[in-house]
Amino acid sequence: MRERLRALDPRLLWVLLALILLGTLTLYSAGRNTFQSGIWLKQSLWNLLGMLLLLLLATTDPRRIFRYSFPSYLLGLVVLAAVLVVGKKIGGATRWFVIAGQTFQPSELMKWVTLLYVSHRLGSRNADTVSRLELFGAVGLVVFPMLLIQRQPDLGMALSFLPILLIIPLMKGLRARWVVALLLLIGVGGFGAWKFGLKPYQKQRVLIFLDPSSDLQGKGYQVNQSRIAIGAGGLIGKGFTSGSQTQLNFLPVKTTDFAFSVWAEERGFLGVLLALGLFGLMLSRILDAAREAHTNAEAYFCAGAAGIFSLHLLVNVGMVAGALPNKGMVLPFFSAGGSSTLSFFLALGLIMGILHRSRVK
Amino acid sequence: MDPRQRPLLRRRLGAFKVLTWGLVGLLVVIYAWLQLVRHSEFKQLALQQAVKVRPIAAPRGLVLDRNGHRLVDNRRALHLVIQREDLPTSPEVIAALAEALFLDPAALTRKIQSYRLAGKGRPLVLKENLDESGIALAERVRARYPFLSVEVAPRRVYLGDELAGHVLGYVGEVDEPMMKAKPDLYRLGETIGKEGFEASGNDKLKGVDGQKRILVDQLGTEVANFGQVDAAAGRSLFLTLDAGLQKVAQDALGQEAGAVVVLDLRDGGVLALYSSPSYDPNLFLNRLSQDMVDRYLANNLTRPMVNRPIQGIYAPGSTFKLLVALAALEKGVVTPQTVIYCAGKKNFYGRDFRCDKPTGHGGLSMVQAIAQSCDVYFYELASRMDIDDIYATAEKYGLTERTGIDLPQEKRTRIPSRAWKRKAAPKDPKWYAGETISVGIGQGAVGVTPLGLARFYALLATRGKLLVPHLFYGFRDNQTNALELATPPPAKDTPLDPKLWAILDEGLAEVVLNGTASSNPLVREIAKEIPFSGKTGTAQVATFVDRAHYARQAKKLKDHALFAGYAPRDTPQIAFAVVVENAGFGATSAAPVAAKLVKYWFVDRLQNPLPPPRGRMVDPFAPQQVEAPE
Repeated sequence: MRERLRALDPRLLWVLLALILLGTLTLYSAGRNTFQSGIWLKQSLWNLLGMLLLLLLATTDPRRIFRYSFPSYLLGLVVLAAVLVVGKKIGGATRWFVIAGQTFQPSELMKWVTLLYVSHRLGSRNADTVSRLELFGAVGLVVFPMLLIQRQPDLGMALSFLPILLIIPLMKGLRARWVVALLLLIGVGGFGAWKFGLKPYQKQRVLIFLDPSSDLQGKGYQVNQSRIAIGAGGLIGKGFTSGSQTQLNFLPVKTTDFAFSVWAEERGFLGVLLALGLFGLMLSRILDAAREAHTNAEAYFCAGAAGIFSLHLLVNVGMVAGALPNKGMVLPFFSAGGSSTLSFFLALGLIMGILHRSRVK
Repeated sequence: MDPRQRPLLRRRLGAFKVLTWGLVGLLVVIYAWLQLVRHSEFKQLALQQAVKVRPIAAPRGLVLDRNGHRLVDNRRALHLVIQREDLPTSPEVIAALAEALFLDPAALTRKIQSYRLAGKGRPLVLKENLDESGIALAERVRARYPFLSVEVAPRRVYLGDELAGHVLGYVGEVDEPMMKAKPDLYRLGETIGKEGFEASGNDKLKGVDGQKRILVDQLGTEVANFGQVDAAAGRSLFLTLDAGLQKVAQDALGQEAGAVVVLDLRDGGVLALYSSPSYDPNLFLNRLSQDMVDRYLANNLTRPMVNRPIQGIYAPGSTFKLLVALAALEKGVVTPQTVIYCAGKKNFYGRDFRCDKPTGHGGLSMVQAIAQSCDVYFYELASRMDIDDIYATAEKYGLTERTGIDLPQEKRTRIPSRAWKRKAAPKDPKWYAGETISVGIGQGAVGVTPLGLARFYALLATRGKLLVPHLFYGFRDNQTNALELATPPPAKDTPLDPKLWAILDEGLAEVVLNGTASSNPLVREIAKEIPFSGKTGTAQVATFVDRAHYARQAKKLKDHALFAGYAPRDTPQIAFAVVVENAGFGATSAAPVAAKLVKYWFVDRLQNPLPPPRGRMVDPFAPQQVEAPE
């Protein structure tokens, strides 16, 4: 056991434990005096389970894991297709399996499986160039599960696959200017079409396609309350379990999407600095792992993981502050949820395994 | 190839790292903007939605009769309300809300608009006095619109139902015209007296609203109270009214339209003031339904909203003859002993004026003329005077002014004069002598309110004291619940010559003893027990060719019956006036009503008084009474 514990990278571990502590405190405060008052305990169980998973993966040779990436990917596609057929419908979307009274969202895990497989495929090819075939192959591998997820529908989740598509070819050697050109094209083209090309009812259709459950007024209300909570927190915050927005339930969905607002209200700007600093350190360490990795596949996986974590961070923290559109993307270790928590631990476990191997050899 | 040896990968990973820290930096900037730069703004917003100042409605004072019996009570009631700061703005929300609550969307929109403009104050009441199904509906709708709340507030209950509708009036929400007229006095949403004593005594009855600062959660539920200023209840007060006597008046008039006024001769206190048909003020507390409008407001046939004792203008008929006699005696055109011959009719200015008795009364002195109510005698008196002589006497004895009773919208009696004619009929401003003849018997242009008439007879009863009728008797003492007697409005003395008074007094006594009123058996019977004085009157509503023609006429064209007087005959304590509309002879219709009042006041009230009023309104949701705690 001691041997196994030694496999854990201490720098990443401390940051992770600190984030888990922050997240648990946040959920304790958010669930207080509501029907979710036990949610911090439940989430702690998931965290514990996640730590075990992490321990297991960190002490496993990453190459063995990469070996199973293709069958995992295929299985993932089957499961995603299955959820559309037999999944549980909650709030107009079919995203969940119910197993023993517990909802389970397969798309959370699929994101990492896709990253694993794409890293594996492109990592076993020549480095520093990306052939068209490779590029289109990667696009196909990522877009296919994305389309399945958008069928659920779950645009936020589908979009969180994008870092895979963007980062791995870049790391492999895709010339940066192509990426910049592509982004520019999408940006300018989309803006132009939106501004001049589309009629209002067409825009409406696009909006409905992107988010069929869009209720602009309702979400506007949520973000507005979240901004009030954040702003009212000020420099040092309202104090633990003392945020009026949180405790009086003005803040909506505060145990999941808006958990960070709870932290920001009660711990203030200093608390936000601490949390964002920890996330920054975590991302840095993951990128260190990419640099130290023994194989290209491992490096790509770490870089892609940093991309996915960054996206979650940007979209969630930006969204609750009203700086980005309201797309349900959870914040790792803050938002409650079993599937997402386990998959974050899974990714970090694999990264720790990569770090461990790089140190040993 | 070992990735650690790839410069491109290392470069790009390095750039990626810088990018991630840049991303963290960007988020820090966003949060610094919200939490440091705009902190006070958001703090204010958070405070605004969590800390609310809610008004606490002060209960109004209770209204008791002179014996301390409750006429107006307070009960607890539940209302579905929207607090001012929660008023919805979206037209869709308002429309959906109106539909859910079965309200008129246009009216609701208007109301919300005016409340929003008015700023802070009482909440907007959507549904009042919720019953069981109302509460169920309210809770259902509240689940969807959490800005609604259910508020407990005191509510008026009028215990006598129709017993004293016109006296008490009712309360309602202050309306916009009132607010515009006196913006400092009224607040939107405030409950104020709309009619009757509730209106005229509003300042006495109303309390001072309190307020509380509370912490609310997102559903508007009170989580904590930061302190409150309690509402100060309005003071309870006594009216001079006697509920028992009022009940006698109500029962005596029954289905007939009319008016009864009884005054206390000691101070001018109103012992009974009943207008028939009456209304039940309880029905006016809720928003008027179409049914209510039909029954009351738009009823042009019986006009139940008119407070007849103070707003009904009736030709006084023969009850006016006392004033004519007084004017003639003071002018000296006759002496009490002057005998005038009645042949059943008399010609003045080329026109025959008929007496009520076609065969004629023969020769009559003044006392006999009053007792027999001879028209010819009073035609003759009028013909010897100018209309302005009659007016001057009426003015001297207070009949031309309002009595000044503490009820809203009292009408002035109409005593004609040359100046009045010029104003009232600018196309034919000249006063004709023939018109004076009609005024001699209380017809023509003369019109009095029953209260004004009662006050004139009170003046005769008190040998010249001009009382100010009033309802306010005094406040209730907070500790003992006893009456703190208020000073009654002072009476004025008039220079009524005692010798002349004695003639009139004798004439009025004769009316009941041997005159017109004595024809009624009930009057005779009661007068035997409690001798009283008074004068019958039969006021023409329409002119008829002959008696047969009159008999055929519809009820609403029949004469009004009047009786005014005082009791007991020798030491008067009360004065009264009774009008029974379209009931024919005063002696047969109005005098018995007066007799019943006398009987109750001097006999039954002392032996077995009527029980205190108890309304038929049973409110299962408000079993306990709210004492007005001062």
